[in-house]
Amino acid sequence: MAKKKYWQSFTELNDTEAHKKLAADEFREELPFESGDGKSFTETPASRRDFLKYLGFSTAAAMAAASCETPVRKAIPYLNKPQDLVPGVADYYATTYVSGGEAIPVVAKVRDGRPIKLEGNTLSSFSRGGTSARIQASVLDLYDTARLHAPMMLSGDSRTAISMEAADKDILAGLAGGSVVLLTGTISSPTTKQVIAEFLAKYPGSKHVQFDAVSYNALLLANEATYGKKVIPSYHFDNAKVIVSLGADFLGTWLSPVEFTKQYAVGRKVNQKNPEISKHFQFESMLSLSGANSDERYTHLPSAAGTVATALLSAIQGQGAAGVDGKLKAGIEAAAKALNENKGKGLVVSGSTNKDVQIVVNAINEAIGANGTTINFASPIQTHQGVDADMETLVADMNGGKVGALIVYGVNPAYEYYNAKAFTDGVKKVKLSVSLNERLDETAESCKYIVPSHHFLESWGDAEPKAGFITMLQPTINPLFKTRQFQDSLLKWSGSAVTFDTYFKNNWTTKLGSPTAYNKALQDGVVETPAAVAGAAFNGAAVAAAVTAANALKKASKNELVVYQKVSLGDGKQANNPWLQELPDPITKATWDNYIMVSPQFGKTELGIDISDAHQADKYEVVMDKPLLNFTINKKAYKLPVLIVPGMQSNTLAIAIGYGRSEKSGRAANGVGQNAYPFLSYNGTTVDWSTADVEFEKWDGEKTPVAQTQTHSSYEGRHEVIKEVTLNDYKKNPKLIIEEREEEIGKYGGIENYTKEGTLYPTYDRPGIKWGMSIDLNSCIGCGACSVACTAENNVPVVGKSEVLRFHEMHWMRIDRYFSGDVHDSDSIQTIFQPMICQHCDNAPCENVCPVAATNHSSEGLNQMTYNRCIGTRYCANNCPFKVRRFNWLDYTGADSFADNQLTSGVGKLDDAVFMMNDSLSRMVLNPDVTVRSRGVIEKCSFCIQRLQEGKLKAKKDNRTLEDTDVKTACQQACPSDAIVFGNANNSKSEISKVRAENNERIFFALEQIHVMPNVSYLAKVRNVEKLSAVHHTEDNVPETEGKKEPAAAEKH
Amino acid sequence: MALLKYESNVRPPLVEGKKDYHQVTEDIVRPIEGPPSKLWWIGFLVSVALLLFGVYSVYREVTYGVGEWNLNKTIGWGWDITNFVWWVGIGHAGTLISAILLLFRQGWRTGVNRAAEAMTIFAVMCAGQFPIWHMGRVWMAFFVLPYPNTRGPLWVNFNSPLLWDVFAISTYFTVSLLFWYSGLIPDLATVRDRAKLKWRKYMYGLLSFGWTGSTKHWQRHESLSLVLAGLSTPLVLSVHTVVSFDFATSIVPGWHTTIFPPYFVAGAIFSGFAMVQTLLLVTRKVLKLEEYITIEHIEVMNKVIVLTGSIVGIAYLTELFIAWYGMNKYESWAFMHNRLDLFSPYGWSYYLMMGCNVLSPQIFWFRKLRRNIGLTFFMSILVNIGMWFERFVIIVTSVYRDYLPSSWSTYYSPSIYEVGFYLGTFGLFFTCYFLFSKFFPVIALAEIKHILKKSGEDFKPAMEPIEEESAETFYKEVSHHH
Repeated sequence: MAKKKYWQSFTELNDTEAHKKLAADEFREELPFESGDGKSFTETPASRRDFLKYLGFSTAAAMAAASCETPVRKAIPYLNKPQDLVPGVADYYATTYVSGGEAIPVVAKVRDGRPIKLEGNTLSSFSRGGTSARIQASVLDLYDTARLHAPMMLSGDSRTAISMEAADKDILAGLAGGSVVLLTGTISSPTTKQVIAEFLAKYPGSKHVQFDAVSYNALLLANEATYGKKVIPSYHFDNAKVIVSLGADFLGTWLSPVEFTKQYAVGRKVNQKNPEISKHFQFESMLSLSGANSDERYTHLPSAAGTVATALLSAIQGQGAAGVDGKLKAGIEAAAKALNENKGKGLVVSGSTNKDVQIVVNAINEAIGANGTTINFASPIQTHQGVDADMETLVADMNGGKVGALIVYGVNPAYEYYNAKAFTDGVKKVKLSVSLNERLDETAESCKYIVPSHHFLESWGDAEPKAGFITMLQPTINPLFKTRQFQDSLLKWSGSAVTFDTYFKNNWTTKLGSPTAYNKALQDGVVETPAAVAGAAFNGAAVAAAVTAANALKKASKNELVVYQKVSLGDGKQANNPWLQELPDPITKATWDNYIMVSPQFGKTELGIDISDAHQADKYEVVMDKPLLNFTINKKAYKLPVLIVPGMQSNTLAIAIGYGRSEKSGRAANGVGQNAYPFLSYNGTTVDWSTADVEFEKWDGEKTPVAQTQTHSSYEGRHEVIKEVTLNDYKKNPKLIIEEREEEIGKYGGIENYTKEGTLYPTYDRPGIKWGMSIDLNSCIGCGACSVACTAENNVPVVGKSEVLRFHEMHWMRIDRYFSGDVHDSDSIQTIFQPMICQHCDNAPCENVCPVAATNHSSEGLNQMTYNRCIGTRYCANNCPFKVRRFNWLDYTGADSFADNQLTSGVGKLDDAVFMMNDSLSRMVLNPDVTVRSRGVIEKCSFCIQRLQEGKLKAKKDNRTLEDTDVKTACQQACPSDAIVFGNANNSKSEISKVRAENNERIFFALEQIHVMPNVSYLAKVRNVEKLSAVHHTEDNVPETEGKKEPAAAEKH
Repeated sequence: MALLKYESNVRPPLVEGKKDYHQVTEDIVRPIEGPPSKLWWIGFLVSVALLLFGVYSVYREVTYGVGEWNLNKTIGWGWDITNFVWWVGIGHAGTLISAILLLFRQGWRTGVNRAAEAMTIFAVMCAGQFPIWHMGRVWMAFFVLPYPNTRGPLWVNFNSPLLWDVFAISTYFTVSLLFWYSGLIPDLATVRDRAKLKWRKYMYGLLSFGWTGSTKHWQRHESLSLVLAGLSTPLVLSVHTVVSFDFATSIVPGWHTTIFPPYFVAGAIFSGFAMVQTLLLVTRKVLKLEEYITIEHIEVMNKVIVLTGSIVGIAYLTELFIAWYGMNKYESWAFMHNRLDLFSPYGWSYYLMMGCNVLSPQIFWFRKLRRNIGLTFFMSILVNIGMWFERFVIIVTSVYRDYLPSSWSTYYSPSIYEVGFYLGTFGLFFTCYFLFSKFFPVIALAEIKHILKKSGEDFKPAMEPIEEESAETFYKEVSHHH
C-alpha cells in the first residue's frame, strides 16, 4: 500500500523549493540581534535600546543566580499508593489518650501516615468529645526527640543500645530469679490486666504494684471505711445545683477534669428564659482553676482543711460552723444552708489527701443526699487505684533486698515519688531492673535495662476509666523506633507466642461475639455498658473518730506550703512537651517555670511590694524579674522565685509539681523549674500535699526572670471589654447588658443601627456566608485546651522561655485573665477568663493601615493574612485594639530563606526547645494544610480557614448548603465546656445564629464602641453571687472623666 | 542731605568684617582647597566608625530578624519609628529656610541656607533608613512601590498612611535635593574656576554642569530657585503632616488625635532649627566663618525656636485638655496614667519632654540669652533631646497600655542593636556632613554676595561727601552721569 501522506498546506503538498528551504531552516533563523545595517550585533556598536535590553537581562539573570535560595526539603511521593490512602486527605482513627491512669477517648487525625491532631471522641458518653490541654499536646509527644530509639543496657557507667533479642535474653535470665515486682501506674485496661495476671502467674511470688504520682488513696480508704467499697465513685456535677469544693480543683486537675468540666458547664449555661445556674462554693488555700471559676470563694490555711470539712458537717447538721470564725464561718454556713436547701441536688468534693477529711466529706455527702444522686457508685472511676502504703512497702522491700527483679512501666518514681532517693537506692539493690518507659527519664536512668514502649498512638489496647465505659486504642502510625509495646514485652516474658495485637483482637472478638462487632468497637473507639446511677450503703461508724482526727490536723505554724498540679503539666509526665511548657498557666499566666505563689499580703510584709498601690504594682509588673527567695522546706534549702497572686490565702505558699526534670528527659523539660515532689511527705496512710515546715530568709533583693504572657491583672473598669452581672441583678433586669451597650453606643445609632450610623463611610451588604463565633464567658473555665489545640492545628511556633520573657510569644488563641476585688482580701477576689483571638472585625483597623494590603477582608467576613505579601511593618499589630496579631520576631520555625540564622547566644538567642521543635522528627507534627510562617511576617487567628475551606468543599461536592457539622474551628472542637460556638451567622438555622438570638440579652462585642464590628461575640458572665467585687487598685487613680464606675450590675439597681 | 536712606537703623549688617567679593570667595572656598584639618579627620573617622556600627546593627537585624530589637507583641514600634519621625523633623529646617524664607525675602537666610539644606537632605536620608530597615522582610520592601507587576490585580494599599509616607518622603527628598543642588551649581563653578589641579577642575567641572555665569544662566537659575521654592513650601507643611497621619489615622488612644498635623509641623521646625543651631555653631567655629554666620543669625533662629517651642507647648496642653474634656476613657487613660503620672513606668519621659521642649526654650525671651553662644548650643541639644522624647512619648507610651489591660506591655528599653542603628544614622549624617563641608562651599557663595551690601555701615565713608552735598548738586551729578 502506498504510503499515505497528510499535508498541512498547499506548499507542503506541492513540495516547492521555497517550502523545502523553509522546512530545512525552520529553526535556524539568526537570533534577532542584528542591527539595521545587517551586521551582527557583535560587530556593531550596540544601540541604546539593546544596551538596556542586555542590562535588564543580565541584571535579572544575576539576580536569579544570586538570589537567596530557600532550603529545599524533599518529600518523596509513594511509588505504590497504599490502597486506602489519598495524599492530602486525612484519615481519622478512634483511639485513646493514656497518661498514667488517665484515659480519655480521642480521635486522631492522620495525614499521609502521620497523626497530627487529636480531637475528643464525641461517641464517648462520659468525656463527650472534651479534651484538655494535655490531650491536645500529646500528639507532639509521639514525635518527641527524647524518645528512646531502641532497647538499652547499662554496662558500667555507660548505656549502650542493644537488640530486642539480646535484651529479652538477659531479662528472661534475670526474671528466672523470681520475686518479680511489676510497678506501673493505675491500669484500668481489662486486656492488660489479663496480660499482667498471666505474667504474674508465670513467675510465682511476684506482684503488681500500682503507683500514682498524684494519688487519690485517701478517697479509696475513706470510701472503704464508710461504704465498704475501696472505689472512687463517679460524680455528676451536672446534677448538682450546689457544688461545694473543699480544695478540689475538679475543673483543672482533680480526678477527671475533662469529664467534670463537661458536666459543670451544663449547670453554668444560662438559659435567658429561665436564668438559673448552679451555685459553686470553693474553700481552698491557693487560687486554683476551680476556685477562679467559683461563685463564692473562701480561703483558709492548708492544714485547716479538716476543720473546714468538720465545720461544714456540723453546719449541715444544724449545729453551726464550729472551730472557724469570721468570713470563713459565714461562708461555711452559707454553703451548708444552700446544700440543705437542695437536698439530693448538692455535691461536696474534697481535694484532701487525708483519709479522715475524706470520711468527713463522705458524711457530708450522705447528709445532703448526694449518695446515689450526684455521687454514683454504680460506675466507679478507675483511673487512680494506687495505694500509697503499697509503694512504701515496695521501697522498703527493695532496700531490704527482697525484690529480685523490678519492671517499671508508665511511672517515674525516681522523680515522682516524694523520697526519690530511697527509691533509686532500692533499685540499685535489685538484681534486675527494667524500665519500659518511652524515654530516658529519671527512673529509666537508674535501671539496668530499658525496653522502651510505644507511644499510645502506636499502640493497641483498651482502657476502662469508668466501670462500664471502655475505650479502645489502635495504632495510628507504624512504630517510629525500635520499641515494643509494654503488653508485648510482658507476653514475651511470660513465654507467650502470640503478640499483643492478636491477643487483643482475639480477646475482644470473643467478648463482643464477632469480628464485625470488634471492628465496630475499634471504629467507634468506645464500648459502653453504663449502669444506672446508684448509691452505696453508708456506714457512719468511722465519722466521729474522723471528725476528731480532721480537727486535729490544724497546725500552729505561720506559713504553710501547698503543692499543686498545674493545668498544663499535671504530674510532669509530659514535661518535655514545648506546647505545654509554653501554655500560660490559667491563674498566673506564667510559662516555662514553676515558682512559689504567694499572697499580696505576703508581698507587702515580706517583700515590701504592695500591689494594692498602683505605682508599686506597676514597678512589680512591668519587669519579668521576680523576687528570688531562699526557702527551707522540709529541712532542705531551695532558691525559688516568688509570684504575687491575688486570691492566695495570706499565709499560704503554693508550688507546682512537674518541673525540675533531669537533663536526659528532654531538651524542653531540661532546666525548667524545680522539682516540688520532695515537698510531699507520707503521714502513715497517705501522702500529704502540704507542709508547715517552710521557712524563708529575708529577701535580699535578688531577682530571677519568670516568663509571663500577661502582667496586668485588672480590667480597670473597662466594661466595654468585660461584662459581668450577678444572677440576681440579671433576673431583676434582664436588659442590664443591653442597657450598658446602649449607653456605650447609643449616640451612634444604638444597637440596631450601629453598623450604619457609627461610621461616616458607606456600609455594605454581606450576603453569602458570614463566619461568626460566640464565646460564652459563663461556661469558659480558662483551661487553655483551645490554646494548645490552636497551636497544633495552625503550626503556631514555640518561642521558648527566652522569647516569652521578651513578650514575644506567638499564641493565636490566648485567654485573658482578670481579677477584681480587694487584693488584700483573698475571699473577695473574683476571676474572669476571656478567650481572645482575632475578632475578624468587619471594619478592621489592621486592614486599612497595611501599605501593601497584606491583610484584607474576605467576602465571608474573615480578616485574612497573606503571609507572602507581608513585609512586616507591624503597623497592623499596633493598630489592633485586641492585640492579637503576632509577629515572627526571629526565625522560630527554621522556615526562613536565610540559612543558619538561629542564634544560640546574644540578643535574640533561641532556647533549646525551639531547636527541638525544628528537628525533622518534631516537624512531623506540622499540619500540611497550614503554611509555616517565616521570620518577619505577622500572623494571627484565621478562624481555621483550612477547615472552613474543607467544609465548604465537602458541602459543594454533596451539592448542598453548608451545615454546622461541616466546619468546626480547632478551639471550638477542643473546648471541654462548649463555650465556643462557630458557624455561618447568615444562616438563621445555624448554631451560631441560634446562640446569638437565644442569648440576645447577654451578647456583647468587645470594645464595641470603637466600631470595629467584630465577628466574635461574647456572652456576658453571670455570677451567682450577692455582688460583684470592685475592680481593683488602679481604680483610685481613674481620672474624673471616667468616674468611679462600679461594675455594671452594681450601679444599675 | 537727609533724603537718602541707605543706612538701616534697625538691622545690623548680615555679613561682618567689611568683606569684599574676593575675600568672601577666599573665606568660603579656602577649606575646600586646603587639606582637611586634624579636627576634621577626627570627626570624620568617629562618624565613619559610628556608621559602621550602624551597618553591623542593621546587618544583625536583617539576618536574624527584628527580634534583635526589644520590641514586643504590644509595642510594635519603638526606637525605630521614634528615630524616623525625629530625623524627618530635623529635616524640616533646611527647606523652611531655603524656601519659605526665600519667598518672604528674608535676606539673613543666605548665611545659613546651604548648610541647613544639606542638613535636611542628610537628615531625610537618615530618616528613610528606619521605615526601610524596620520591616520584617526588607528584601520585599519594593512591594510598597506601585509598579506594574505579574501578581494580577495586586496593588499597594492607598488607604495606608505608611504608603502616603513613601510618597511624601520621597517627594520631599527629591525636591530638597534638587533645590540644594541647583543652588550649588554657581558655587561649584567658582571652585572649578579657581582649581589648579587637573582632577579637581575635572570633577568640579562635571559637578557644575558647564555653568558659565552668563546672564541667561543666572536668569534661569533664579527662575528655577523660585519655582523650586514654590514647590517646596507646601512640602514643608505636607511631609510632617503625612508623617503625623501614621498616628492620627490609627485608633490607638494617644495616637488618634486631630491636632497632630500642625503640632507635628511646629515640632519639626522646632527641632530642625535646633539642629541647625547645633551644626552651625560648630561649623562657624571650625571653619572660621563667624563673620558669615553671625550672632544675628543665631539670635533670629533662637526666636524661631522660642516661637515653635511655645506652639508645641500649646499643642501639648491642648491634647491634655481634650483628653480630659473629650470624656473618652481610653484616651484619658493614655494621657492621665501613661504620661501625666510621673511615677508610672514611662512618666519620666513625659516630664523630660515637657521640660526640654516647653519650659527650657522660654529663656529665649531674653535678648541677652538669645545671643549667648554657649547657652544656645546647650539649648539646641536639649531641644533635640526633648523632641526625641516627644516622639517616644507619643509612640511608646500610647501603645504600651492601650485597650486591653491583658496586653499591657512590660517595660520596653532598646537592645544594643536598636541603639546601634540610631548611632549608625548619626554616623551617616555626620559622615555626609563632614564630606559636604570638605568638598562643597558650606555657605551659598553666590547668594551671600547679594547681601554683602545690604548694610550701610561699610559704605558710610564713601557716602559722607555726598551726604554733605546739597540736593541740587547731587541731582545734577546724577543726571549728568546718566
